[in-house]
Amino acid sequence: MSEPREPLRNIIVAGGGQLGVLTALALKRAVPMAQVTVVGTPPDPNALADRLGTALPFTNRLHDRLGVDEAVLVSEAGASHRLLMRTTGFTAGHEGFAAYGALPETKLRSRFAREWGGGSRSGSAQQTVGSLAEALVASGRFRPPGPGESTPLAEVDYALRWNVGAYRSLLIGRAQKMGVQYVEGEVASLEADADGTVSAIGLTGGQVLGAELFVDCSGTRGALVSRLPRLEWNDWSAYLPVRAVVLERPGRGVLALEDHAAMTEEGWVVGHAARDGHQRILGVRDSADPAQAADVLGGSAPVAVVPLSPGAMATPWQGNVVALGDAAARFEPLGFLNLDLAHRQLDLLLELLPGREVDARERGEFNRRAELMAEGVRDTLGLYYAALEAERVYGRLERSPALENLLDQYARRGRIPHSEEGALMNEEIVSLLAALGIEGGEIPVSRAEGAQGMHAAQGAFAAKVDAALAASPPYAEWLQSVLAPAPG
Amino acid sequence: MSDTSPRPVRVVVLGGGTAGWMTAAATAKLLPGLAEVHLVESEDIGIVGVGEATLPHIRGFVERLGIDEAAFMKATHATYKLGIDFRDFGSIGTSYIHPFGSFGEPVAGVGFHHYWLELERSGKAGPLDQYSFAVAAAKANRFAPPAMDGSLASSYGYAYQFDATLFGPFMRDFGLANGVTRTEGRVTEVERDSESGDVTALVLENGTRIEGDLFVDCSGFRALLLGDTLDEEWEDWTHWLPCDRAAAMPCAHVREEIEPYTTASAMPAGWRWRIPLQHRIGNGYVFASAFISEDEACEAIIGAAEGTQLADPRVLRFRPGRRSRSWSHNVIGVGLASGFLEPLESTSIYLAQMAITYLVELFPVGGKIDPRDRDEFNRLVDLEYDRVRDFLILHYNATTRDDSEFWDHVRTMEVPDSLAGKMELWREAGRVEKYSNGLFYDASWIAVYVGQGLLPERHDPRAAIPREDQMLAAFGKLRDTIASEVSQMPGHRDYLLRESARLADAP
Ligand SMILES: Cc1cc2nc3c(=O)[nH]c(=O)nc-3n(C[C@H](O)[C@H](O)[C@H](O)COP(=O)(O)OP(=O)(O)OC[C@H]3O[C@@H](n4cnc5c(N)ncnc54)[C@H](O)[C@@H]3O)c2cc1C
Ligand SMILES: Cc1cc2nc3c(=O)[nH]c(=O)nc-3n(C[C@H](O)[C@H](O)[C@H](O)COP(=O)(O)OP(=O)(O)OC[C@H]3O[C@@H](n4cnc5c(N)ncnc54)[C@H](O)[C@@H]3O)c2cc1C
Repeated sequence: MSEPREPLRNIIVAGGGQLGVLTALALKRAVPMAQVTVVGTPPDPNALADRLGTALPFTNRLHDRLGVDEAVLVSEAGASHRLLMRTTGFTAGHEGFAAYGALPETKLRSRFAREWGGGSRSGSAQQTVGSLAEALVASGRFRPPGPGESTPLAEVDYALRWNVGAYRSLLIGRAQKMGVQYVEGEVASLEADADGTVSAIGLTGGQVLGAELFVDCSGTRGALVSRLPRLEWNDWSAYLPVRAVVLERPGRGVLALEDHAAMTEEGWVVGHAARDGHQRILGVRDSADPAQAADVLGGSAPVAVVPLSPGAMATPWQGNVVALGDAAARFEPLGFLNLDLAHRQLDLLLELLPGREVDARERGEFNRRAELMAEGVRDTLGLYYAALEAERVYGRLERSPALENLLDQYARRGRIPHSEEGALMNEEIVSLLAALGIEGGEIPVSRAEGAQGMHAAQGAFAAKVDAALAASPPYAEWLQSVLAPAPG
Repeated sequence: MSDTSPRPVRVVVLGGGTAGWMTAAATAKLLPGLAEVHLVESEDIGIVGVGEATLPHIRGFVERLGIDEAAFMKATHATYKLGIDFRDFGSIGTSYIHPFGSFGEPVAGVGFHHYWLELERSGKAGPLDQYSFAVAAAKANRFAPPAMDGSLASSYGYAYQFDATLFGPFMRDFGLANGVTRTEGRVTEVERDSESGDVTALVLENGTRIEGDLFVDCSGFRALLLGDTLDEEWEDWTHWLPCDRAAAMPCAHVREEIEPYTTASAMPAGWRWRIPLQHRIGNGYVFASAFISEDEACEAIIGAAEGTQLADPRVLRFRPGRRSRSWSHNVIGVGLASGFLEPLESTSIYLAQMAITYLVELFPVGGKIDPRDRDEFNRLVDLEYDRVRDFLILHYNATTRDDSEFWDHVRTMEVPDSLAGKMELWREAGRVEKYSNGLFYDASWIAVYVGQGLLPERHDPRAAIPREDQMLAAFGKLRDTIASEVSQMPGHRDYLLRESARLADAP
């Protein structure tokens, strides 16, 4: 007879940044009887997952499940929509767009087909996603599709960006209402049993807090994990070239449906076009001097230089301590993957949430999948550095066999091999590679089909674009209407 | 149009069984201009002629080739299949259906089966089957095509049960109509390039030489190219899957109704299939020759099968396992020539289909084979085989049966590490190891674990959070909804009859 495990009674989340607060909220929702306490360790300025208010479409789904409404994020946390990322110069003279989502036919599959894996699992993507998004961005028109949307807008996927402070306050409000506790303090010690199970943490003020599960969301310092006796770290410095990230002081706010990544002589520059301020971020390589490199930002004083040594914990769940976000994996903020990975790790923890006692197999399954996720992010970043200009500026980097295989298969056959726990869907990878100017080989089947199939598809697509544009108001107009609803 | 059009690759398919004609039809249809397909088959040797139960993926194959489903079903005397009814596997007297579908829906991010396990503690949940639309429809002998709208009626899929001796010919007609050249004759000699070792031509008994650039070995268990010619290493899995023979025998229908599912009944030294087609029922005893003789097995299937016997039992011999490399030199094995896993979960035709899909994706346009594509193909094929293998072994190992030497052996044998880890995760936490490539996801593993009485020791703590009366109400509502929706579905035979002009000659 199967017994339920005793549910968690006490959970401590170290780190009260946007990740820690969302984690606390999610855990409290999952186990409402448990006492969930956020230990508000002083904010870590180097934690990129906490610092940047944007992620990828996955986060929208997670927010949904946690009752964090998109409309509220728009009205109270300064959220805006990003339909794609424009990329320039990763290949000399090339500009492109990386968009989100799967091709409509993949989305439309029946529930059974999705769950059972029926249908085509072909790795060849014949069409790229995002062409609709491109048309919308070019005309500055968009509104998020409603439930049961019948226009082609239903096919457009997007990410959100928001104001970190406002977002965090909003989540704190929710967390408080649900009874999440907050304690300010810095972790000074861990108390562990003989078998390594952590029973309590001591704060600098002398306060001792006991719990059965500890979640480290404290950023690069790893307030909890750094105190574990054994911390195995996978070093990614051979794979990823950026050693410092320069953050520009945000400029005036903008309203845009796209963000921008450009390759320069000093490194890549990513522009976050947020409503509360446009901010550029520069990825500085090993040998360069960050202050000098920052000149590329046009003399605007950098607000921060964040040092970076890329890598990930080999087993982010040890004993009863789980690391999420920068505490578990560190890498450059290129492609909006930082908070996205943190949220996927959180989702994995929610899926495999333990009882009062942690099960070793379950922990093993978490670590197996978390490692695949982290490697998936590393290899996704590797795609950017495989573009010719990026390779010239940063030098040739090491590639995992999986990344090597992907680049080879794509270059010769236009094929994206399936990867477990990958950061992007195959269609999104194809879109990104095109944006970076990395050319794909011809797919045998489409080569055989010739031009005929293409013409028919193009005609249908043009009609779709018209319908999507007709269904979308100018984005600014839409935003106005939700922020200040017309009376009556 | 580019003027550097590569010259078509001369693809020679050796073998005209299910695998051979599927390969020829798909490459000719999907790679016109790139592949020139020539198939050699020998009527003297014949085909294995079994392989009647399929998986839902076959529908994708039929659709991708642009074949009309109704015409296909009619020509192969096909019926619909919603899953497999496993009898006497976990212990004698028990049974469960492994459906092409799920059980309930996750609630608050926790899998349905955890709540079921929670209610099961007080014995109030009833069998897990009741919460699957596919199982309910199967048990009621009803069928209708699933919806596509995310509703309960879209929570299942279907496959076909067809006459294996008609499927190949159907694909042959399709292949010939799409430009496949066919030569009848027995291959007696294989020519190879003295330097590269690549196969260059097949020579028939009558002296005909057939040259090619790429050879697909679909010669069945003989594996004339991959085995005899190239001597590719064979990984033997007999120690995990001891069945190595089958006694197959068709019978007439005995009941009015046609079951929309396959039945697999455990036997003292293996198991027996029952596959209802439109015009007859396929039966066969898959057995381990180390535990029972061929004669005894034939007697057993005659004794066990219902309905008038339409032919004497025919014994087939095989070895479970696969080639270490299914693509070697310029030879690709598809079907029985590349490997064999017993038909317990109807996976063979799927494995052939999967290999064909990868062959089309990795097709050596212009004829030059890149070793990286070969490695990629072998990596993908191995992954598929290994996952199916573990799932099959579970059916034998998760048992309390100790009534025969055979069951004692499989119950106590050491299983592969990859499976042992999965089973432990299930036992300790009620969780299923997750992957998204390969066959058989959560619902399938849960169906077999629970169906064979392997319940976990603990389940998700969150399943105990909702109030029991509320859970019972929700469970009851799900059962009622399924029951009422299933009662609106037509009977399986009725559905075939109603659509008989399209689907069926003689249901
Ligand atoms: C997830 C989360 C993150 C937060 N992050 C921050 C933050 O970064 N900065 C910040 O200033 N505040 C933070 N808070 C705390 C929250 O903003 C404060 O609770 C609020 O500022 C004061 O609220 P209150 O007094 O109205 O009520 P309540 O939250 O109801 O608290 C009552 C009072 O009792 C005090 N109190 C609670 N427990 C103890 C205790 N064990 N010993 C002594 N006193 C105690 C509290 O500090 C508070 O003043 C966070 C809260 C949550 C839930
Ligand atoms: C007992 C049993 C039950 C099965 N049940 C199922 C099931 O339910 N579902 C499922 O999916 N699969 C099942 N299978 C597997 C399925 O039957 C095969 O995967 C399928 O039939 C493919 O076979 P094949 O084409 O590879 O081989 P074959 O049918 O054996 O074809 C081999 C071909 O090669 C030709 N050939 C061989 N040597 C020469 C030569 N020297 N010269 C010329 N031609 C030659 C033969 O003439 C023939 O045309 C079952 C298999 C067995 C043994």
